[in-house]
Amino acid sequence: MLKRWVPVVLVVLLAGALLTPPGFAQAPIKIGVIQPLSGPVAASGSYVRMGAEIARDWINARGGIKGRKVELVIEDNKSDPKEAASAAEKLIVRARVPAIMGAWGSSMTLAAMPKLEEYGVPMVVETSSAASVTRRGNPWIFRISPPSEMEALGLARYVDKLGVKKADFLAVNTDWGRGAIAAFGDMLKKKGVAVGATEYMDQAATDMNAQITKIKAAGGDTLFLTTAVEQITLVMKQAQEQRLGLKVITTGGSSSPTQLVKQAGAAAEGSYHIVFFMPWFPEAMPDGKLAKAFVDEWGKRGHPFEGLTEGFRGHDGIATIAEAVRVAGKDEPKAIREALWKVKLMGVNGPIKFEKDGPAGKESGQSQPSIFVVQIKNGKVALPDFLAKK
Amino acid sequence: MAELLQHLVNGLVLGGTYALLGIGLTLIFGLMNLVNFAHGEFYTLGAYAAFAALAGLGAGFFPALALAIAGGAVLGALCEVTLLRPLRAESIDTTMLVMIGVWIAMQNGELLVWGGVAKSIPHPFPTAPLVLGPVSIAPLRVFVLLVAGALIAASWVLIQKTTLGRAMRATFQDRDTAALMGVRIDRIHTATFAFGSALAAAAGALLGPVFLAYPSMGDLAALKAFSVVILGGLGNLPGAALGGLLLGIAEELGAGYVSSGYRDAVGFVIIILVLLFRPSGLFARAERVG
Amino acid sequence: MRGAARAVLALLALTLPFWVGNPYYLHVAIMAGIFGVLALSLNLLLGYTGQLSLGHAAFFGIGAYTSALLTLRLDWPVWPAMLAGVAVAALAGWLIGRLALKLRGAYFVLVTISFAGVVSLVSVNWMELTNGPLGLPGVPAPALGPWSLRGKDAYYYLVLAAVALAYVVCARLVRSRIGRAFLALRENEPLAESVGVDVTHYLVLAAVVSAALAGGGGALYAHYTRFVSPEVFLFTYTVTMVIMVVAGGKGTLAGPLVGAVLFTALPEALRLATSWQWQMLAYGVLLVLLVFFLPRGIVPAVVVRAEAVRRARRAAE
Repeated sequence: MLKRWVPVVLVVLLAGALLTPPGFAQAPIKIGVIQPLSGPVAASGSYVRMGAEIARDWINARGGIKGRKVELVIEDNKSDPKEAASAAEKLIVRARVPAIMGAWGSSMTLAAMPKLEEYGVPMVVETSSAASVTRRGNPWIFRISPPSEMEALGLARYVDKLGVKKADFLAVNTDWGRGAIAAFGDMLKKKGVAVGATEYMDQAATDMNAQITKIKAAGGDTLFLTTAVEQITLVMKQAQEQRLGLKVITTGGSSSPTQLVKQAGAAAEGSYHIVFFMPWFPEAMPDGKLAKAFVDEWGKRGHPFEGLTEGFRGHDGIATIAEAVRVAGKDEPKAIREALWKVKLMGVNGPIKFEKDGPAGKESGQSQPSIFVVQIKNGKVALPDFLAKK
Repeated sequence: MAELLQHLVNGLVLGGTYALLGIGLTLIFGLMNLVNFAHGEFYTLGAYAAFAALAGLGAGFFPALALAIAGGAVLGALCEVTLLRPLRAESIDTTMLVMIGVWIAMQNGELLVWGGVAKSIPHPFPTAPLVLGPVSIAPLRVFVLLVAGALIAASWVLIQKTTLGRAMRATFQDRDTAALMGVRIDRIHTATFAFGSALAAAAGALLGPVFLAYPSMGDLAALKAFSVVILGGLGNLPGAALGGLLLGIAEELGAGYVSSGYRDAVGFVIIILVLLFRPSGLFARAERVG
Repeated sequence: MRGAARAVLALLALTLPFWVGNPYYLHVAIMAGIFGVLALSLNLLLGYTGQLSLGHAAFFGIGAYTSALLTLRLDWPVWPAMLAGVAVAALAGWLIGRLALKLRGAYFVLVTISFAGVVSLVSVNWMELTNGPLGLPGVPAPALGPWSLRGKDAYYYLVLAAVALAYVVCARLVRSRIGRAFLALRENEPLAESVGVDVTHYLVLAAVVSAALAGGGGALYAHYTRFVSPEVFLFTYTVTMVIMVVAGGKGTLAGPLVGAVLFTALPEALRLATSWQWQMLAYGVLLVLLVFFLPRGIVPAVVVRAEAVRRARRAAE
C-alpha cells in the first residue's frame, strides 16, 4: 500500500522544489492599491495603476525589499465612495495589506479614511486635492499630491507675468473643482485680480456651450479651467467654436497636454497647464535620470504617452510605501506609519518628505511636491513663453 | 442680445441632438412599450463603430456613418430575436430587467474592448466656426443638425406612408387584429426594435465626432432621450423631434440665465410639469395615460 | 416555507457574527441587510401595486442626508435623527404619491426618475445645506445607552432588527384589507375602482410606506458608513434595487430579501473569481441569463418547483 504512494510523494516534492523560484522563498510584501478602474475616470485610474506596476517591477528587479518581492493588490473603487470604503476594508481584512495607495478622487479618499483609522493601516494619497483630506485629523494619511491651496501658491509667482487682470472660472462640479475655485480665487484676490464669472459643469456633461457663452459675456481675460482631460478637450473645442478668445490655464494636473493636442488640435493652442510632471523634458525634473528612465520604461511597455502626467503618481506612491517598509524593517502597519514620517526619497515628481498638517495630536502627513507650468505652442508642449524669455 | 442669440443657437443645435436620441426611443418605448435601458448603449456603440470603421478599416467618414447605422440595426435585430421575443409574454418589468442586464454587459464590454480613455473621432469638416453676425456655430454641428433632420423626416415617412409603417402602427395598436389581417407580428417587432436601435446608433455616430467616444457616454444621453419621449408623447415621432428641440433650448437658457450647476434639473422640472398638466405630451391630442 | 427550514435560517442569521470568519464578510452582510430593507420597500410599489418607481434612490438618499444633517448640524441624538429621516422620506413619498396620482405606467416611471434627478442635483449644488460634492464626513454612530453601536457586530444586529421590522410591516400590510386593495389595483384598476376601491388613497399609502422604509434604509446606511455624499442618489443604486426585487421575485415577501442577499454577494464573489476587467461584464451576462431562465424571479420559481414536487409525490402515492 505504502509503496504506491512513495513515488507520488517524491514527484510532488521534486516538482515543488523545481517550481519554487529561487531567492524569493519568503512571503511577498503586499501593497494595496485603490483606484477608479471603471466609470467616468477609468482612464486616470488605469494610468496610476500602470505607474504603480512600473515601480513594483523596478523594486523587484533590484531584489525586492530585503529580499522580499513586492506584490500589488489592486481594487477598483468604480468612481464611487461607497466602493472605495468597501475596497479599503477588503484590502485590509482579506488581503491583509499593511499599507495602501489610493483612492484618486477626494470623496473616494474621504470615504475610505474611517476604515484606515478603524483598522490602523496607513494610506499614501497620490492624487486627491481637497484640503480636508489632511485636515480631518486622521494620522494614517500621508499625501504626496498637492492640495489646491499649494497648487494656487505654486502659480502665484507667475500671475503678473501672465498678465491676469480679470479671471473667470469653469470647474467640474465635484470637491476637486470647487476646491480649486476656492483656492485659486483666494490667491488671485490677494494679488488684486478681479474675478468675473464662476461656472460649473457636471462631471458627465458634454455640452458646455451655455457656460462658455456666459463667460464670454463676463469680460474677463483669463479662464481657469479645472476638470479631467476629456472635458477640457470639449470645453476648448466649444470655446473655439464660440470664439471665446480668453487665455486658458488648466489646473489640477489632469489635463494631459499631449492628449489635448491630439484631440483638441488648434483649439488648445496657447493654453497653459499646471502639471506635476513634465514628460516632454524629463531632464528638467528634479531627478532628471529617474524621470527619463520612467518615461522610457512607460514607452517600452506600450502605454500611451499622454498617460504619463498621471501615471507617475502611481510610481511615486508605491516608491514611498516601499521606502517606508525598508526603513521600518518590517511590513507591519504601525511600523510603516512611523517610518513614513522619517522617509526622504526622490520620486519622479521630486523630493518626497512629509510635514505635519491638520489638528495637533492627530496630524496627517503632507509632502511639498514640485509644481510646473507648461504651454502648448505650435502643437507641441513647451515651457511657457514668459519663462523661455531670458 | 448677442448673448441671447448665441444661447438660442446653442440650444437649437443641442436640441437637434436630443431629438435624434428621442426618435429612436419613442418607437421602442412608445410602440413596443419596452423600457429600453440599453438604448444609450446602442448610441455608444454607434460612436465606437464609427471610430472602429475609421481607425481600423480605414473607411471614409460617410461610409463609416453608414456602417455604424447598419451595425446598430443588425445588433438590434439580434437582441430582439434572441432575448426579447422569448420573453414577450412576460411583464414589462421582466423585459426591462433583461435590458438592464444588456446595458451593463454592453457598457463593460465596450470598456474592455476600447479601454476607458475617450476616443476622438476624426471628421472632414473644417474646425473654424461659421460666423453669422454675433453668433458662432461649427460646420460639423450644422451637418449633424441637417442629417438629424433628414433622418427624422425619413422616419416619419416610413411610419406614416409605407406598408411597413402601417403594419407597425397596426401591430402596436391592436396586435390580434393585425395578426388576423396577415401582419407578421414577429417580424414587425424585430423590425421596430432594429429601426429604433439604428437611429440610436446614428445619433452616436454623428455625435461621436462632436464630443468624444467613451463607454459611459450613453447613460446621460439615454436619460435625456426618455425625457424627450415623454415631452413629445409616446410613439409620436414629430413630437419627439420638437420635444428634443424644446428641451435643448430650455436647458441652454436655464444654464445660461439661472445656474449652470442646475442645468440638468431644467429637463427634469419640465418633465414633472408636463406630466402634471399635459401628461400625454405637449403635442398629442389628450388621451388617457392612466 | 417549512417551519424547520425557517428556524434554521433564523438561527443562522442570529448567530452570523460568530460563524462568519472575516469582518469583511460581516460588512457584506450588513450591506445586504440594508439593501434588503430597500428592496422590500421598492417591492411594495413595484410588486404589490404594480407601479414602477425608478427614483427610489431619492428616498434612500433623503433618509441618509436628513439623519446625517440632524446629527451633525443640530446635534440631535442618533435615534430621533433616524426617525426623522424616515419621516422626511415618508413626506417625500406622499408628495410623489399625490403628484403622480393621475399617472400610470411609463409616465409614473418618468416622474420618479425626474424627482430623483432634481433631488440629486440639489444635493450637489446646495452647498450651504449639504456641503455639496465634499459630502458629510464624521456622521456619528448610534448608541444604546452606554454601549456604542460603532462596531460591526453590534451594527449587524441593528440592521437585522430593521430587516425583521420591515418584513413584518410589509407582511402585515400585504395580508390586510389594504394589501388586497393593492392587488386589486395591480390586477385590474378600472374594475377595482368600479367596486369602490379608492385607488388614489391606496396608491398614496403605498408610496408613503415604501418611501418611509427606504428612508429608514438610508438612515441606517448613513450611520454605518459615517460618510454621506451626493453619490447616494446615483441611478445605479435604484437599478440595483430593481434588480434585487425583480430577480428575487416581485410580489412575494421573500423575493426581495433573496434578491438583496444574492446581488450584494454576487459582485463580491465576482471580485474574487475574476480580475476587475471582467467583473461587471460577467455581472451583466449573469443577470441576462437569470432573467431568461427565471423570468418571474427566483422565489416564484422555487415555489413552483416545490409545488410540482409535492404534486408528483402525491400522485405517486
